[in-house]
Amino acid sequence: MIHEYDTAIVGGGPAGICAALAAGKNGLKTLLIEERTFLGGQLIKQTHRFFGSEEEHAGTRGIHIANDLKSELEGMSNIDVMTSTTALGYYEDGILTALHDEKMIKIKPKSLVLATGAFERFLPFENNDLPGIFGAGAVQTLMNIYGIKPADKVLMVGSGNIGLIVSYQLIQAGVQVIGVVEAASKIGGYLVHASKLRRLGVPIMTRHTIKKAIGTDKVEGALLCELDKNWQEIEGTQKQMSCDAICLAVGLTPLADILSQMGCETTFIGELGGIVPKRTADLETTKAGVFVAGDLAGIEEASAAMLEGELAGLNAVKFVTGDERVTERIHHLKEELHGLRAGPVGEKIRYGLAQLFEDSVITSKKIESHEHDITRLAHTGIPSQENIDEKLPDEKRMIKPYAVIECFQEIPCNPCVISCPFGAIYIPKEDINQSPIVDFDKCTGCTSCISGCPGLAIFVEQRNPEQRKGTVSIPFELLNRPQKGDVVELLARDGQPIGTGVVKRILYGQKQDKTAVITVETDIDLVNKVRNIQLQRTGKKEVM
Amino acid sequence: MREDDIIICRCEDVTLGTIRELIRQGYTTLEEIKRIARCGMGPCQGKTCTPLIAREIAAITGKGIHEIMKQNHRPPFGGVTFEEIVSGRDEE
Amino acid sequence: MKSKADIVIIGGGIIGCAVAFNLAKKGMRNIVVLEKGFLASGATGRCGAGVRQQWGTLQNCLLAKESMTILENISDYLEEKVDIELKQRGYLLLSFSEKETEQFSKNLQVQHSLNIPSRALTAEEAGEIVPILNTEKVHSAAFCPTDGHANPFLTTEAYAKAAEKRGVEICTFTQAKAIKTENGKVKGVQTDKGYIETGRILNAAGGWAYEIGEMVGLKLPVFSERHEILVTEKVPPMLDPMVMSFSYNIYCQQTPNGSFVMGHGPKNEKPGHNVNSTWQFLEAMAQKVTYLLPDIKKVRVVRQWAGSYNISPDRQPIICESEQLPGYYMAIGFSGHGFMLGPSIGVYLSELITGETPSYDVTLDLGRFARNESIAEPSVV
Repeated sequence: MIHEYDTAIVGGGPAGICAALAAGKNGLKTLLIEERTFLGGQLIKQTHRFFGSEEEHAGTRGIHIANDLKSELEGMSNIDVMTSTTALGYYEDGILTALHDEKMIKIKPKSLVLATGAFERFLPFENNDLPGIFGAGAVQTLMNIYGIKPADKVLMVGSGNIGLIVSYQLIQAGVQVIGVVEAASKIGGYLVHASKLRRLGVPIMTRHTIKKAIGTDKVEGALLCELDKNWQEIEGTQKQMSCDAICLAVGLTPLADILSQMGCETTFIGELGGIVPKRTADLETTKAGVFVAGDLAGIEEASAAMLEGELAGLNAVKFVTGDERVTERIHHLKEELHGLRAGPVGEKIRYGLAQLFEDSVITSKKIESHEHDITRLAHTGIPSQENIDEKLPDEKRMIKPYAVIECFQEIPCNPCVISCPFGAIYIPKEDINQSPIVDFDKCTGCTSCISGCPGLAIFVEQRNPEQRKGTVSIPFELLNRPQKGDVVELLARDGQPIGTGVVKRILYGQKQDKTAVITVETDIDLVNKVRNIQLQRTGKKEVM
Repeated sequence: MREDDIIICRCEDVTLGTIRELIRQGYTTLEEIKRIARCGMGPCQGKTCTPLIAREIAAITGKGIHEIMKQNHRPPFGGVTFEEIVSGRDEE
Repeated sequence: MKSKADIVIIGGGIIGCAVAFNLAKKGMRNIVVLEKGFLASGATGRCGAGVRQQWGTLQNCLLAKESMTILENISDYLEEKVDIELKQRGYLLLSFSEKETEQFSKNLQVQHSLNIPSRALTAEEAGEIVPILNTEKVHSAAFCPTDGHANPFLTTEAYAKAAEKRGVEICTFTQAKAIKTENGKVKGVQTDKGYIETGRILNAAGGWAYEIGEMVGLKLPVFSERHEILVTEKVPPMLDPMVMSFSYNIYCQQTPNGSFVMGHGPKNEKPGHNVNSTWQFLEAMAQKVTYLLPDIKKVRVVRQWAGSYNISPDRQPIICESEQLPGYYMAIGFSGHGFMLGPSIGVYLSELITGETPSYDVTLDLGRFARNESIAEPSVV
């Protein structure tokens, strides 16, 4: 028996699901195959909120986006979904084989969208085969999907977004993160993620690398060293840290095996993660009717994956039916993708894509940076006082509560704008990379934006100069919340304790969507310094 | 432990030293190293070791990564049992 | 790369490397081997690599036996300690009919005349040697305990390294593009990396033998046919000998590292150089092997590929100097048993080239077809 379809989508992550929806909504008989038992790919592990713009579900937690997408799929009768189904191979006669329900089934699709994602890279260092060395993505899967605590004390290697986000999620799960090691001189991921870690007391060691895993039967520690400008070890800087797991977050590579059997040409582009398919701006490979989307097309992130998925799906529709009605939406999606990639953090992707195809919009759309000097922030995860002062209102205004948005790096993101019920936050629509600006006349200090910010980078302060006191409201996402009236330790941006305060209010309802807003009262001098709190107990963070 | 003892191919336990020695002996393609040392023949089919071996080849020979990374991948990806193949054959 | 050579061997598979080694051992200098990929990247590196002595014709039995003897003593032979993963746990040939059993009897007589230790078995005895065998329809069997298989890549490498040690120049990733002749004689080879002046060429190009013949205007009576093959994951030892059947059309062995390698003779393959894989092959093999060796049904296939059989009119190799073009030698048309004859052909052909009396009394020249002296081998997969 040969299963015939207008299109088959390989991979049920964000790109694949969006491709299936696009194809299905336009009448194609669609098959979506996914090797895991569940759909969602990397999305369902992303417990944090997404960046980007509203169209890309910004401000929504990854797991919720996944659920929304999955429900959409269920409603569609012309989309067949086969989970627990692994694509096995593609043959010259156009047959795609897959392992489904303990059978090697044969599928004959008129078109294909490959959205197989990526796999984690490995780092060679002494003893790198000891039990307790994981990929960061693997640890995230253990924790967030299977509810397994991977270790007690983790050293994270790599300060890209995955390294930073997984470190944070480890702490939320009650695991201690002893540090993040980064070989480059600057932090690789979004700096708001780094700031979150710093105020939790996690050191980020730039210009460091791991030399050796220590232990006989399993990881018991790690030996680190410092690197000079030429990535060479500096003598005398070796230091040992004890841990029972080492997480490697050293990059992803597209899962491109299936492409070579298909006769799709590939090429090596470092900026896109390694071997990537050669393809057009419409995501078509060198084999007509075979499209790619998501991390397989080039390592990026979920928002781009979803847009590319839809783009590939629509191009598959065009290929099979010749229907021109999808052209407008295709154009719109390409514009959205350009917008995502236009800012400073998109430079690497733009450079990589430019090696694949000519697209004047990519090269011309580079937006002028309005960033101020964020050198300190980029090296340490902590902004300079100058950076911070630029976000504050006049002293006179500080008597009433005001939002301080400590977001200095230009990343494409604007949920704060939408979260404000008073329209007090501004980011230009044409360039959502720009740093948000608060209109302090409109701002009431309601703290809605605190729970809306994906980077947890917003705080609300209020200063009372007469009484020499003030309050600060912070976002809090750990399980053991204080109670109103508790005296808590106050931590600075570097996680160091700087005093105590009293909890005046805790907001934790549906509107906060699991990002509690905790308001503490303390001395006026500490208000701009306090960015985290710690319960005054035995010092051990207890988790249920 | 010396750098040469670092395991590069975890599926087949091949060390960095072995790989460097093979490259120096003149085996400067992934396909040759695979056939001699079995790197890439294990369950992960080269996902862990291939980029690292390619890097070593580039470092020692000066060849570009583009050239080195050209490799054949063949089905069935992930493996399938004979029983599963027969069941699929018999599918109505 | 040398610009002048005594002989240029086109093809770096088992034949090319074995001949190169033997020529060097005889004292020939200035030998160049050209290989367009890496060594054994053609037919040799893709084959099942079985070595059997159980043939039907005297000359095949002789050549195979000699090859096996060389492989058994390869380290002494090459004067180099090498491991070619030689497994000698026998070949079990299965007969499914009276007619086939008769043929086996004839073959056994021929084999015994050369003291090959093969013997006839009943279906039951076959089941004792291979406990996982489904003997239901097996009529009889033949078994030779010294048959076996080796690693084709390691074997070719061993010959190549030994050849290089004796001064042979092996040029990988170097393709022969054209052959220059003058006044009916070989003059030289144009490669993509330069020109080599030489009076002698050996066409040992495996799947590309015909094309190398075309370069000198010869229409050699060979064509290439795709044969597919698969390998499984490693499992604990389950199968000692290679199991083979001509009528049921399958060969299957378990290598020393635990994975199974198996294939068959395809029907309806068009001549050509296509070495891509098909799902139909997987289904055909799965059907056959789960019937014959039911316990294997839960073993996973992890990879499939294909290689070329270079097929001659009587499925025997063509080994000679061209009568039309002196200096042009050929060792082609091995029709699926090039690896197992390689070691002895290395000896035979090197004697031919240096003009010595050949060690083996065999008829392998191209002229045999015109003389109606081709020797049909009855037992091939």
